[in-house]
Amino acid sequence: MLALPVQAQRVVSSVSNTAISISSSFDGETLTMFGNIEPELGGAGPVTGPFHVVIVVEGPLAGRVTRLKTHNFGIWMNTVQVAFNDMPTYFQVLSDSRLKEITNPVTIAEEKLLPEYQAQAAIETGWWDSVVFANQTVRLLTEKGVFGVREDGVKFLSNTFYSAQLTLPANVPNGAFLARTYVFKDGEIIARKSDGFSVRTSGFERFVAQSANQYPLLYGLVCVALALFTGWLGGVVFKR
Amino acid sequence: MQIYLPIAELSMNVFFLVGIGGAVGFLSGLFGVGGGFLLTPLLIFTGVPSPVAVASVTGQVVAASTSGALSYYRRGGIDLHLALYLIGASTVGAVLGVLLFSVLRSFGQLDLFLSASYLVLLGSVGTIMLIEAVKAIIKARSGVVVRERMPHQHNWMHGLPLRVRFKKSRLYISVLPVLAIGLCIGIIGSLLGIGGGFILVPALVYLLRVPGNVVIGTSLLQVVAMMAVTTVLHAVQSQSVDILLAFSLMVGGTVGAQFGASAGQYLRGEQLRALLAILVLAVAIRFGMTLVLPPDDIFSTVLLGPGGLL
Repeated sequence: MLALPVQAQRVVSSVSNTAISISSSFDGETLTMFGNIEPELGGAGPVTGPFHVVIVVEGPLAGRVTRLKTHNFGIWMNTVQVAFNDMPTYFQVLSDSRLKEITNPVTIAEEKLLPEYQAQAAIETGWWDSVVFANQTVRLLTEKGVFGVREDGVKFLSNTFYSAQLTLPANVPNGAFLARTYVFKDGEIIARKSDGFSVRTSGFERFVAQSANQYPLLYGLVCVALALFTGWLGGVVFKR
Repeated sequence: MQIYLPIAELSMNVFFLVGIGGAVGFLSGLFGVGGGFLLTPLLIFTGVPSPVAVASVTGQVVAASTSGALSYYRRGGIDLHLALYLIGASTVGAVLGVLLFSVLRSFGQLDLFLSASYLVLLGSVGTIMLIEAVKAIIKARSGVVVRERMPHQHNWMHGLPLRVRFKKSRLYISVLPVLAIGLCIGIIGSLLGIGGGFILVPALVYLLRVPGNVVIGTSLLQVVAMMAVTTVLHAVQSQSVDILLAFSLMVGGTVGAQFGASAGQYLRGEQLRALLAILVLAVAIRFGMTLVLPPDDIFSTVLLGPGGLL
C-alpha cells in the first residue's frame, strides 16, 4: 500500500449544469466543467505547478452483454456471449495532455482512467474473454458516442485554473452522473474532487418510458385502446 | 422532424415512420392483408431493434384490422361462434409465443430465429401464392373459367371428434382443427409480429371450408382480438412495446389503407395476388441474405434491462 503524498493543494470545481433534461427535441447538450487548484485551507503560500488535470465522467452503472457472431453451417449466428456487471453506461476521459505524459501506467490501471480498464473490471470470466470482449465493447460504445478519451479536452486558462467542455450525445443514458477530477503533479495524484449531475428525460417521453416499465399492464391496455380507437376513427373519417 | 422513441431508445424521423405506415397501409388496403408481415421486416431493416419492432407492430395491426372488422360486422359478415373458438386458442398460442420470445431474447438468438422463420414462412407462402396467381392469370388469358372449390365439401378434418355446429358458416365440424389453427396462428403471430391473416384466410377456406362471405370478417375479428392480447402480453413480459412508434405507424397505416382499398379496384384479382406474392418473396430473400452474408460487425452489445432479461 503506497503512502499517499501530503496534499498541500486542493481543487475547487463545479459543473455548469447539474440537471440536464431531455425533451422531445433533445439532440445533445454541452457541459462545462471547471475548477481552480488552490492551497489547502490554512496552508502557506501560492501553489506551484506544473499541474495536469484528468476528468473522468462516469454515467450510471448497468449490466451489459456482448456477443460474437461466427460462421456455422453456412449462416452467421451469435455463439459466444460475455456478460459485464455494473459497468458505466457512459464513460468519457478528458485530460490536458497525453495520459502517458501525465502519469504512469500503474496509476492509470489502478484508478481505471481508461475505458478498457472499466470494461475489464466488469467481467467475471477468464483472461481471454476479458481482453478481447472488453476491447470490442469499448470500440462499439465509442462508435456509439458514449465512451471516449479526449486527451485535449481540458484546457488550462492560467497556471491553476482549468476548464473542460463535454458534449453529451443525444443517446446519453438517464441517471446520476459523476465527474471525477484528478490533479496530477510529477506523475502523482495530489488532489481529487467529485461533482455530480443528473440527466433525466423530462415530460412526456419520461412518462411514457417510466409507465412502460412500472405499469406494464396498464401501458399495454392503453396501447390497445389507442389502436382500437384509431382504427375505428379511420373507418369513420374515411366513410365510403 | 425527429422524435425520440423512449422504448426503442433512438430518434427517428416521424415523417419517415408515418410514411412507412402509410406505404404498408396502402399495400394492406390494396391486397386485403394486415401488413404486419411487411411492416415488421421493414422496421427491422431500418434499424429498430427487433424485439421493439415485433411488439410495436402488434399494436399497429390492431388499428389496421379494426376498421375492416367493424365494417364486416355491420354487414353481418362475421361468424362470432367460430371466431370465439379461434380467439380462445390463439390467446393460448400468444401466451406460449411471448414466453418463447423472452427465452430467445435472453439467449441472444431472437434475430436469428426471426430471420429464419420469416425466410421459411414468407418463402413458402410467397411461392405458393405466386404459382397460384400465375396459373390463374394464364387461365384467365386463355378464357378458361376457373371453377372455385365448393364450400361444404368435407375433408378428413371435419370428421374428427368434438363436433360443433357453426350456424353462420353452415358448418358442422370438429373443433379440433379450429383450435389447432388458432393455436398455431397465435404462436406465429406473437413471435413474428404478424397478424396471420394471410395464413388464416387460406386455412379457413381450404382446410375448414368456411364460405367466402364470412371468412374475411371472421379472420379480421380474430386478428384484432389476438393482436390486442399479444400487445398486452408483450408490454407486460418484455416492456418492448413502443407506443409512440406504434401510434406513428397507425396514423400512416389507417390513411394508407383507405387509399389502397380504392386503388385496388383498378387491378384484376390475379394480378394483385401475383404482385403481393412477388413482394412477399422479396422480403423472404432479404432475410435469407442477412443470414448468409457476413454481418457489418461480428460483435454486438446490448444493455440488460431490469431482471436480467433484455
